[in-house]
Amino acid sequence: MSIKKQAMKKMALKGFVDMLPLNLAVIPWGILCGSLAIQRDFSVLEALLMPLLVFAGAAQLVATELIASNASMATILFTVFIISSRHFLYGLALRDKLKTLPLTKRLGIAFVLTDELFALSMHKKSLRGKLRVVYGLAAGISFYLGWLLWNVIGIIAGSYLPDLTSLGLDFAIAATFIALVIPTITTIPILVTVVVAAILSVVFKLWHWQLDLVAAAIIAMVCGYLSLQLQTKFKTIDKRQGSVS
Amino acid sequence: MILLTILLMTGITFTTRYLFLHPNLPIKLSPQMSSLLNFSAPAVLTAIWVPIIFVQDNKLITNLSDPYLVAATIAILVSIKTKSVYWTVGLSVLTFTVVRYVI
Repeated sequence: MSIKKQAMKKMALKGFVDMLPLNLAVIPWGILCGSLAIQRDFSVLEALLMPLLVFAGAAQLVATELIASNASMATILFTVFIISSRHFLYGLALRDKLKTLPLTKRLGIAFVLTDELFALSMHKKSLRGKLRVVYGLAAGISFYLGWLLWNVIGIIAGSYLPDLTSLGLDFAIAATFIALVIPTITTIPILVTVVVAAILSVVFKLWHWQLDLVAAAIIAMVCGYLSLQLQTKFKTIDKRQGSVS
Repeated sequence: MILLTILLMTGITFTTRYLFLHPNLPIKLSPQMSSLLNFSAPAVLTAIWVPIIFVQDNKLITNLSDPYLVAATIAILVSIKTKSVYWTVGLSVLTFTVVRYVI
């Protein structure tokens, strides 16, 4: 095997393994999604197609409930669209890195572009160059397979499971995001972004806004950006004053 | 009918993920826009985890010994100290379980 191929394999394995803690954190949610579909009278095929094709967390869960309650197709699709709209931000943020990739890799990364993969690709260098793309792709596939597996367990266990939503199992998801976000707060603008996003996401959630997450995120991004502008402005003023005195 | 709904939903989730990765889209990101988008990860991810901790049953938590709050505090401290996903998730989930089910 050539050195290049070996390096690729190593990166793929590393991506796959690095995603494992995030895979573990969504075990309860995956099982819940699978079992809920069965409890809401989905056929096994339909329940399987949800993680296989739709491959989403919140959107899958909400859609399952909506379908079960005979909501109109328009309502279901609109709700899924709103919940998924945060992905537009991911696509935009990664656009310049990924738009030049060959079609299959681009489609592949897009298909597995979840919150978790985006979280894992926060670093400036992430997904730059062939090896890092392979790493990201492997991490995304790792999460896809994990999610599928947890769903299947939920489908098999089906109605034997108690209502998992009341057990507080969602804490593990919060914990992984804390683990990924907090260490990246290295500058004041990022701190501003995080604080604004934290406050607004809670306020909007309490107001029952459908676009709570996206609205909070966009306003927080603007605040982070503006504080960066302010910071650079003050730095240049400081420098000028420094050179005068 | 459910099958058709699932297929259409697949179209939506995939489109939201793929759209802006499409090279022929007539948009070019200005340096300002790129700089703004650099803040998207901390912004979105924070907006996902903070409500999980602070909003329960559509209400803001007020109890300082709430297991979510205590365990999230531990998670933040451990993540600053270790920068490790494993340690952060492991210790904070353990804290959560102890506070919620043992104490």
